[in-house]
This record gives sequence, C-alpha cells and structure tokens, in this order.
Amino acid sequence: MIKHIIQRILSTILLLLAVSFFTFWLIHATPGNFFDSLRLNPQISQSTVEHYEKLYHLNDPLLWQYFHWVINIFHGEWGYSLYYNVPVTHVLGSRLFNTFVLSFTSLILTWGIGIPLGIWAALRRNHWIDRMLSVFSFAAFSTPGFFLAVLVLYAASRWGGLPLGGMHSPNYDDMNLLDKIKDTLLHLVIPAGVLSLSSMASLQRIMRGNMLGVLRQQYILAARAKGLPEGIVIYRHALRNAFNPLVTLLGYEFAALLSGAALIEIVCSWPGLGSLLLTAVRAKDVYLVMSSTLMGGVLLIMGNVLADILLTWVDPRIRYEKRR
Amino acid sequence: MLRNKVLLTFLCVCLAAPGIDAAASRYGGNLVETVASDPKTFNDIVATDVNSTAVTSLFLEGLTTADPVTLKVIPDLARSWEASSDGLRWTFHLRKDVKWSDGVGFTADDVLFTFNDLIYNPDIPSSSKDVLTIEGKPLKVEKIDNFTVRFTLPVKFAPFLRAMAQTILPRHCLWQTVQQKRFTFSWGIDTPPAQIIGTGPFLLSEYHPGERLVFKRNPHYWKRSSQGEALPYLDHIIFMIIPDAQAQLLKFIDGELDAIALSGRDYPLLKPLERSKDFHIYEAGADYDSNFVTFNQNPGLHPKTSRPFVDPVKLSWFTNVQFRRAVAHAIDKKRLIEILNNGFGLPQNSAMSPSSGSFYDPQVTVYDYDLGKARGILKQAGFKYRPDGMLEDPQGHPVEFNLYTSDAGTASREQTAAIIRSDLEAIGMKVNLVPVEFNTLVNKLTSSFDWDMVMIGLTGGVEPHFGQNVWRSSGGLHLWDPNQLKPVSPWEKRIDEIYDQAAQELDDSKRKELYDEWQRITADELPVIYTVLGMDLFAVRNKFGNLKPSANGGAFPRPEEIYIKK
Amino acid sequence: MKNVVKHQSRIQLAFASFRRNRVAMLCFWALMVLYGMAIFAGFICPYSYQDENRDFSYCPPTKIEFYDQGHLSQPFIYKRSLTFNDIHRRVYVTDHAVRYPLRFFNNGRLFTVEAPGRLYIWGADARGRDIFSRIWYGARISLSIGILGVLISFILGLLIGGIAGYYGGWVDSVLMRLCEMFMMVPGFYLMLALRAAVPENFNSVQVYASVVIILALIGWASLARIIRGMTLSLRERDFVLAAKSLGVPDIVIIFKHILPQTISFSMATLMLTVSSYILAEAGLSVVGLGIQDPIPSWGNLLSDAMEIVPVIFAPWILLPGLFIFIAVMCFNVTGDALRDAFDPMFKE
Repeated sequence: MIKHIIQRILSTILLLLAVSFFTFWLIHATPGNFFDSLRLNPQISQSTVEHYEKLYHLNDPLLWQYFHWVINIFHGEWGYSLYYNVPVTHVLGSRLFNTFVLSFTSLILTWGIGIPLGIWAALRRNHWIDRMLSVFSFAAFSTPGFFLAVLVLYAASRWGGLPLGGMHSPNYDDMNLLDKIKDTLLHLVIPAGVLSLSSMASLQRIMRGNMLGVLRQQYILAARAKGLPEGIVIYRHALRNAFNPLVTLLGYEFAALLSGAALIEIVCSWPGLGSLLLTAVRAKDVYLVMSSTLMGGVLLIMGNVLADILLTWVDPRIRYEKRR
Repeated sequence: MLRNKVLLTFLCVCLAAPGIDAAASRYGGNLVETVASDPKTFNDIVATDVNSTAVTSLFLEGLTTADPVTLKVIPDLARSWEASSDGLRWTFHLRKDVKWSDGVGFTADDVLFTFNDLIYNPDIPSSSKDVLTIEGKPLKVEKIDNFTVRFTLPVKFAPFLRAMAQTILPRHCLWQTVQQKRFTFSWGIDTPPAQIIGTGPFLLSEYHPGERLVFKRNPHYWKRSSQGEALPYLDHIIFMIIPDAQAQLLKFIDGELDAIALSGRDYPLLKPLERSKDFHIYEAGADYDSNFVTFNQNPGLHPKTSRPFVDPVKLSWFTNVQFRRAVAHAIDKKRLIEILNNGFGLPQNSAMSPSSGSFYDPQVTVYDYDLGKARGILKQAGFKYRPDGMLEDPQGHPVEFNLYTSDAGTASREQTAAIIRSDLEAIGMKVNLVPVEFNTLVNKLTSSFDWDMVMIGLTGGVEPHFGQNVWRSSGGLHLWDPNQLKPVSPWEKRIDEIYDQAAQELDDSKRKELYDEWQRITADELPVIYTVLGMDLFAVRNKFGNLKPSANGGAFPRPEEIYIKK
Repeated sequence: MKNVVKHQSRIQLAFASFRRNRVAMLCFWALMVLYGMAIFAGFICPYSYQDENRDFSYCPPTKIEFYDQGHLSQPFIYKRSLTFNDIHRRVYVTDHAVRYPLRFFNNGRLFTVEAPGRLYIWGADARGRDIFSRIWYGARISLSIGILGVLISFILGLLIGGIAGYYGGWVDSVLMRLCEMFMMVPGFYLMLALRAAVPENFNSVQVYASVVIILALIGWASLARIIRGMTLSLRERDFVLAAKSLGVPDIVIIFKHILPQTISFSMATLMLTVSSYILAEAGLSVVGLGIQDPIPSWGNLLSDAMEIVPVIFAPWILLPGLFIFIAVMCFNVTGDALRDAFDPMFKE
C-alpha cells in the first residue's frame, strides 16, 4: 500500500509537468502574443512595443521560457502576470478564495440536499414524490447551465429581492461582520443555486439507485427477519453501504466544480478563478494561465488519487498487481 | 429704531439664506458607476488600456485639459502660458495653491520629473513618448523657477497644448523607484491605496480585485466652485467591476448602479422606466470611435517563404478603387443602424466623428446603399456575372475572400459582420466569415499580414494628429499597407504631406482646410470603408446635479462638480 | 459456452424490461420524431435557413387566420410592416386589407406563402430569418454532432480502456495517466485551445468535422476509465479464467469475450454521453466557437438569446433552448432506463 502511494506521488509530479507543458505549448500554438493589443492603439509606435517584449523575455525560445518557469515554481515564484502587472500569486490568491467559497457552498448544497432527496425517493419508490423528483432531476441536468443562469437572472430582475450578480454590495466595507456574511450569502444564492442544481439532481438519482440496490440485498432481508426496527435497518445498515460508492465521487466532484464554474462565474459576474482564467487565456497572459491550470490540475489529481484509493478500499476484487 | 433693526435683520437673513442653503445641501453622498474590467495598473505612465486611464484621471491632472462641451483647451494645473513668436518656446505658469494628497506642495520639479525622468526615460515603456516626440526629437523641458516651466519644441507643433493634458506625477514619492529601476512595477494594482498620491479631486481608498474600486474625496483639492466652495462635493465615487454588459444593465435597473452607458438597443427597455426608477437618459451625440472594413493592399513578400502576403489575384481586386467603391455602395448602413441600435446612430462617411467639433468635414463623398449602382461599377471595371449570380473578375476568377473579425462575442459585432457578408453576396461576392481571437487579429494586421478583409474599429478623438500612426504611409497602423518606405500612391503621398504640414500649422482655419482635404481624399480613395457610428447614450439617476454628459468626456467629465440634490 | 448462451437471452430480457418502461419509450419516440423532423427539414420548413428579410427584423409569430369575416375559409395571413415608436421600440402593424393565402405542397415545401408575404410560425430573428425553419435545419447539426462525437469517443475508449483494464500493471498506469492528463485540462479551456488550432479558412463542413473531433477528444478519457473499470471487474470472472486456461490468446479474450459484455452496459453510458456532447456543442457555439453563422445549430441560435433586451422584446428566440432541453432530457431518460434495465444483469 505504501509503495503504491509513493508510486502515485511520483507519477503525479510527472503528470503535473506534462500538463503544464501541454498548456504552455497550446497557448503558444495560437499565434500572436500578449502585446498585440497594444499595437492597435494609434498612439504607440513599434519601438515601444518591442521594448515591452524584451522586458518580459517573450522572444526567447519556448523551452527556455518553460524551463525558467518550472525552476521558479520551486522558489515560490509563480510568474508575473503581464496583464495585471503584478506577481501571479497576488491575483490568484483572492480569486481562488472567491471560487472556493462558491464551489464549497455548491458542494454543501449538492450533498446536503441531493443525498436526503435520494434517500427519500428510494424509500418512497414509485410514489408520486419519487416520480416528481425524477422529473425534476432529469430536467435539472438537461438544462445548459449558462442558459439557466441567464433565465434565473431575468426572473430575479422582474421579482426583485435578490442581488443580480457580483459578490458584495457597493457599501460592503461599511457593514459589520454579521451583515457582511448576510450580504455574501445573498449574493451566493443565484450562482451557487444554479451551479449545484445539475450535480444535485444527478447525485439524487445515484443515491436513489444505490439505496434501492442495497435494500434488495440479502443482509437487509436478514436484518429485518431478525426483528431490527426499520429505522436502524435503513439508517445504520442500508445507508452506510449505499453511501460508500458515493465517497469516490467526492474527489471528482470538487475538482469538476472548480473548473465547471467558469461560465456561471462569467454570467453572474462572480469575481472568481473562472472569469480570471477566461480573461487570461484571451489575453495570452502565459504565466497566469499556467499557474491557474496548475492549481486546477493539482486539485483534480488529488481528487483522482483519493478516488482510486477509496475505490481500492471499497472494492477488494480489484487488484493492482500484474495478473499472474 | 426697532423698525430699522427689524429691516436690517430681515435683509441679513435674505442675503445669508441662499448661502446657507448652498453650503449645507451640496456636500455628501456617493456615486456608483461601473467599469467592464479591472484596471491593469494605477501607473498612468505605463498604462495602455482605457480601464486604467479612466480611473487614473480621477486623481491625476495635467497642465491643461479640454472643456467637455466646447472641446477647447483650458488651464488646469497651469494657470496661464505664453508662446514665443516663433511658436517654439512655451512658458507655463503653474498654480501655486496645488497640493499633493499627502500635503506636499506641487511644483515645477514634478513637471520636470514627469517629462525628463519618466516619459523620456529609455528604460520606461511609456505610451505618451510617441505623442510627445516630434520628428524623432523630444521636447526640451526646463525649470525657470519653482512655479514656471519652459518647453522648447524642435519644430512648431499644433497639437502641443492639447498634448499638455499629459498627467503629472509626484516626484517626491517616485524618484527613488526610478533610480532603482523599478518604476515600471510601481503603483501596480496591489499597491496600498494610501501610497497612491495625486492632485486630483478623488483618491483611491480601496481596491478589491474583480469587485470594486472605491475613491474618496481629496481634502487638499485645489479647485473651487464658482461660489468659492471647496470641491469636490461627493464623498465617494465607487466603480463596480462588471464585465458583462447585461449584468450592468440589470444592476442599473435594480438600483445598485447610479449610471451606465447604453446602446440604442437598450433604449426601449430603459426609457419607460425613467419615472419609476428615477433616472434620465442623456443623448450625448455621436461616438468618437470609428468602425470600418478594410482590404489588404499589401504587395509585399513574406521574408521567410518569399510568397506574397496576399494572393495576387485577390490583390488585383483589393487595389482596384472601383472594387472598393462598389463594396461601399453595397453596405446597408441604414439597416445596420436599425437592427443593431434601434435607429440610434449615424452612417459614418468620414474619418472624423461629428462630435470631433471643428475638424469634422461633412462634405465628403457619400456612398448610398444601391446594389444596382454597385453592380454597374463592377461591370464597368471589367467584372462579369455568371448565370448563377456569382461575380468573376476580368480574368475569370470567382470573387471569393475571407472577412476577419474579432470573436470578442458582442452580438452587434457578429450581426454587423453577418449583414455585411450577405450584402456582399447580393452583388455576387462570396465572403467567408472568420472570427478570430483579438490578439490573433492584431498579429495578422501588424506582423503576419495574412488577411483579406477585416472589420475592426479604432478609438478616435478631437485631435486628428494623434491618429498619425494610421494615416502616415510609414505608420505601423496604416492597416491596408503598413510600414511603407516611400508612399506607394500619389494620394498617400499627399496625406503624408498633409500630416506634416498640419502638425506645424498653428492657424486653426488653415489646419482645418488641410484636414478637410485629408477626409475628402480618404472618402474618395476608400482605403477603409466606414460603416456606422453609434450614439453615446447615458442613463443617470436624477438625484445628481451639475451633470454635463458629452461624447468626449463620458457621463461625468467633471466629477468634482457633481453633487446630490436634496 | 453455456455462459454465452445465457447471456444473450439476458440481453433480450433487458430490452424487454426497457420496453415496459413507458416514460422511457415515450422519450425514445420523441427522439425519433426530432430526428425525423431534422431529416425532412427541407420539406417541412417554409424557408431555407439563410433566407433573410431585413424588413421583418424580430417579427413576432404570424397568426394564421382560418375565418374570413365569420366564414371558414382557406388559411391565410395578413400583411405586416415594421415601424419604430417614439421610444425606438419595434412595432409591427397589421394591414387587414392585404392578405396572403397559404400554399401547400408548393416548390417541394409542405406550406409557404407567396412573396412578399412572410410566414413566421415561431417568429423571426434579428435579420428576419424564420426561427421555425432554423430550428429544424439546426436540429440536423446539433443532433448529429453528438452521435458522431460519441462514436469516435467510444472507439477510442474501448481500445484504451479495454487494454488498460485487461493487462493492468504498468500498461494500465501509463494509459490511465494519459486519460487523467486529458481529463485534467479544464474541459472549457481544452475546447478553446483546440478550436483555436483549427485553421481559419475551413469551410463549414470542415468546421463541423473539427467540432466533432474536439468533442470526442474531451470525452473519450472518462469513457475509457469506465470501460477500464468494467474490464477490471470482468477479467476476474469465471468465463474469462476459463478461456485463459483453455489457452485462448489475450487479444481474442479482450475483443471477443470481455468487450461485448461492456457494450450492453456502455450503451446506456453512450446515450448519456450524447446528451453531454449536445450540451458541450451548445456551449461552444454560444460563445461563437462552434458552428458558424449562417449554418444554424441550436447552440448558435441561442447566442442571440443570451442578452436581456432581445429576450424581453422577442422571447421566441429562446425556443432553441427548449429543444436542447427536450433532446438532452430524452437522451438522459432513455440512457438511464437502459442502465436500469441492464443493471441487474451486470451486477450478478
């Protein structure tokens, strides 16, 4: 087991290098560099633009630029954002936190509502509640997220009450702590709600399916035959077994949330990593894009490793050694 | 005796009352605006984008400025100036009552520092360097005394006074960064707001990236109202950072924003809400930016492959002025304005906007929408129509080319390109729409030169000379055939001459004649084919007084004069 | 051998159970209707997808009249013209004096009106193009792209997932790392970057092919993982061990014994993947990076509807969103029902 974990860590590092270089190369595969937008301002001449290019080493060969970047990572220096004119870490930090707040709230909503609804549906199988939840779930994950976000914003603008985008009100700084928290929560309603809707729906379906599968098993029949109260049968035995496979999802879920939130952040003007990345990719702000992708990559890989480890623990039938 | 006293008291009260009202009611309150993206830097010298300069103009000022309504140059930090008779030496007398926001006095040292140590510093990539370099030579800036500065120009330069709107930076807090060669990185967006010093009416108080900028009143501000009151009136100006235009509109409607700029399309949505949401829509005149399509007339060869940049067959069409004139007749400007802006807009025919004031020449050739005329011109030029309607050139090649636009995602830009495309199809040309990323587009226009037709826009202004990089044949932004060693055609040669002469012509009416000629030449030769100009529309809450929205200055050209009516 | 025979009848049982699920069958037939309308779009729709008329920008749906002053008559429409009112809002004025009768089976189309009348069943877009026609021509693109993309993903997934799952060890590690690499670059950005690498002067057919390939490249990795997972479980099964002990070569075992087992379960996953590809194409086209104007796809039809002003004054431009929703939902329901039907068979 230990050997396996060490193996995983090594391959993770290798993978991170491969992905970062892949992203680096992709950015450079599209022609034109960051300072091209300067050229279209009639008041700036060629020599000024060339001056900028020299300052930021953009004329060195590709591999050199990448090599420098990797060395710097280990020094804690993640590169300089050409677009914002500050070190990458300064911009990443605050935006990462905002996206984290959004994703974490989404995660809590998804699991906090999805799991109970799934259990409820399983216990009332084919009841009208179950059917209704089915319809709602399918509807929820069939709607394009960005489209739903736009519709919800228009509806909210008609009925009022909820802030339409952004993270804080204009007078946020003058509020006391309690009001600040309330303000942020109000602003979270639309983006987190839309973001969690589809994953909530699919989680509900999965939980329901797992629960039903478990309830059919022999040991549940045995527990009931033994005379155990229904509550204990369901909540101590069935639930635990139904819930286990879902743990593997947790890793994928969180990482997918982070990258999938990009479009929602843009539509709802949430100042997070997604909207930052889109701007950076469009502006070819190389170091910012790479560092953000690296962040996303680290999280996703951690999620996958977690998933794999949990999967091994849960299903002993799967072996990792070469077959004999 | 008593009656006199009563009369006297009554008179005093009458005289004092307006004064009491004015002093009590104008101060206080906030203005909440919006910007589409974060500023890149607070360092005005290295800033290159409009989001940064919109913000720096709140706390930095220049020797002169422009009146938003009359567009004339008026004093700002300099209270007066004289020119020598040959127009080469300008002496500015600076105001003596200006203080930087940390209390240090503003002097000529700051002016010298800004020009000699910042703008003309070879280590600092300043964007103003090019505007302030005339025929390759910088201006000579000398200190005469603490409040007098002399500029010596190498040759006469008509736009000089307007260029003196250049913002002045404080020497006492920045000279060390210049010595340590880290000026370019100073006053970035992570600078603590207290370190950003200016002479202007508002100072940066907080910045939350991706969310908002908060500016507070500068207690040391020098300007006074006409009644002698200390300005500004407002407590704060807050900029909410909202990249999405739809979100801006929604937030204005629900009351979070006090002002936005709208397009003609939004007008029927907002106008009926004027009373219930307590605002007014101001129509400030035609936009300054120009929108056009242009064809690649570059005859050059790629240095590495020795292949021509433009397919010679296509080049023969693009360099044919009749071809371009036919295209101009085929663009349905009226429908563009109708569909995109619900009627708010003007067809654009000239390089200058009507809002530019005196330099705008309305007497240029106008190409009306007439498909029959377009086809006639093409036929006269030797083009023929096939039975299926497709156009072919005199050598029998079918007329087909690519139209490149930026994929920045605004619906109006896509619609415009799509409409132009189907307009050109109506006269038999096959046009392939190729939306590309903005930086890729700029790269094509300025270094790889591999494009056929491009739809793009440029920012404009009052002073034609500041666009010289586009109109000089040697200019890097001379899009259709840049960086010419010698002017390729007689009309481009004439435009070069006009730009040289007009920059040094100090007589305004003679300057106008020259620039009028330039506009007429461009309308006849059509190196670019203008499309439509939008109208500047601003919606502002009614509670604000002293508003002077204009196309030149935006919704709030003089933020220090704005107050909230009680 | 006995296992294989039992298996086939299990498959038949599974399909029978699927057919009993009425909701799923309803969705299945709905999909058939959608595909049918798409195939016959040239006949059903009154206009071609690029037939524009700028006199009718954002024209509301046309009311078809069946009564002429109280008497039942041949269906017709009244003439309409565009004006702007004092707040610059579009207003269409009906002229009751001029009418255009509907013509059926005219010019190879089911129903049309004679020019200069225009029949807009579901309204017009900014350039006066018929939304009804564009939705059904668009269905051709949106519905086919998903299926083609999934086919390619599936082939890739089968190959890589099957081999990884069967051999295990370092082959599995390497291949799964490759999968992770593809899954790790944020999907949205991978799409953006790949799309940017597509040459600009591609015509519409080539753009279509590129989008198919891009979609396939985003999704193959998770399919491969699923198949690898299934193969991992399956290779320990009795029939595989039996085949190995009989000396059957590995390749034959993979392709003849294991993979066919995965197909029946994969079918459900495939349907679910089609729905995610339809959504992905919509996302790509909405941002302007997918199928280009004038070729309609449900995604690029929606890009006009992402702005509040057109939606408030011309709400019919939201209809393509409804169809995306219907198609995706039907694929999801069908896929889910298929999975339920095959589930007990797989679990045993």
